[in-house]
Amino acid sequence: MTSPSDPVEGLNGNGQAGRYYGRGIPYLPIDGYPGKLIAIEGTDGVGRSTQIQLLREWLEVKGYGVIETGWTRSPLMQPTIEIAKSSNTLNKLTFVLLYATDFADRLEKEIIPALKAGFVVLSDRYIFTALARAGVRGVDRQWLRNVYGFAIAPHLVFYLNIDVKTLIGRVLESRGMDFWESGMDLKLGDDIYDSFRAYQLKLLREYQSMADEFNFRVVDARRSIDRIQDELRRQVGAFLEPAEKPSEPALTR
Amino acid sequence: MTFSLLHATDFADRLLYKIVPPLKAGMIVLADRYAYTAFARDATRGVDRQWVRELYSFAVRPDLTLYFRVPIDVSVDRLMARRVKLKFYEAGMDLGWSANPVESFRLFQGKVLDEYDQLVQEFGLEVVDAKGSITEQQRYVRTLVTQHVKTSRVEMIDDEPV
Repeated sequence: MTSPSDPVEGLNGNGQAGRYYGRGIPYLPIDGYPGKLIAIEGTDGVGRSTQIQLLREWLEVKGYGVIETGWTRSPLMQPTIEIAKSSNTLNKLTFVLLYATDFADRLEKEIIPALKAGFVVLSDRYIFTALARAGVRGVDRQWLRNVYGFAIAPHLVFYLNIDVKTLIGRVLESRGMDFWESGMDLKLGDDIYDSFRAYQLKLLREYQSMADEFNFRVVDARRSIDRIQDELRRQVGAFLEPAEKPSEPALTR
Repeated sequence: MTFSLLHATDFADRLLYKIVPPLKAGMIVLADRYAYTAFARDATRGVDRQWVRELYSFAVRPDLTLYFRVPIDVSVDRLMARRVKLKFYEAGMDLGWSANPVESFRLFQGKVLDEYDQLVQEFGLEVVDAKGSITEQQRYVRTLVTQHVKTSRVEMIDDEPV
């Protein structure tokens, strides 16, 4: 339904941190907002929430104002998404659009106001989860990138990378495999274990293929919680306070 | 943005369940409003025009689109005559342009109509003058539709006896 004459600009990897990826939201200019957006990406059960929890505490102790935002947590959309998921009428298109609506709501009502006020926004998952899930389900990649052209390019994207074998161990030790995280809607297999494995393998490949496109900082998530946290803190610290260490000797001189 | 995306979700759902199957079966689908409504309404709300078009690129392009054009005053008069209670979003009250629903409706829908006028060119909508009488409009609509659909003869597609 686009006019053939108009060139299409969507989200692409050249997005500048803190700016809209693509066409953005014309009625919400965000240039020069002081806050920082940090996204923690990674598949289901990789340990994102734990890491964000620890990172938040550390940042707050250092005096930063921190807010968290997470996938499908918008007050507007969460109930709708839950109903839709249980109704068996969702198809890949409505699935994508419901998630995009949820994200738009959080972007407008949580993320942008927080960036304006100078908060550090920790995003538990970001649009890359949506791109990966939809990509696995065969949704047109260019269309997806255009739709998410209203998203803001984060200042940092950490990708918690894991192999499927380690992942399976972790998920089974904690809460077990669930219908959607196993991609049971894709009918990859009747057995939830087989389906989980096949689905997560596909997902991991999708994430991997986005690593260069979107400047992921890949973190080896097979290591212990503390080791991962150390690396995150080192990188976040270097980004937020780049001049701190070199400037110290200069001051004492 | 959420207003735009929610409507797109609803549209995608109806497209896949209510529009595509009958089209595949060779039936005629009459759609009361289509993606063009979103193009006009969302642009008026300040959403990027090209983005909305791209968002709806999954839609089937209609064989024929009729745009019933009416000046904003006529539209307001008709609604008032029927004492229609204006809906919050239909009157664009969310934009805060006026605290008076009728005034807000006039401002908002006036801009929506301007957007529609651009769409007529861009997507080749057939304009029906909706100031005229119902009969006049219907006759013109029938002329347009007959040009697109062979209504003269009912063809039996199925070879199998019923």
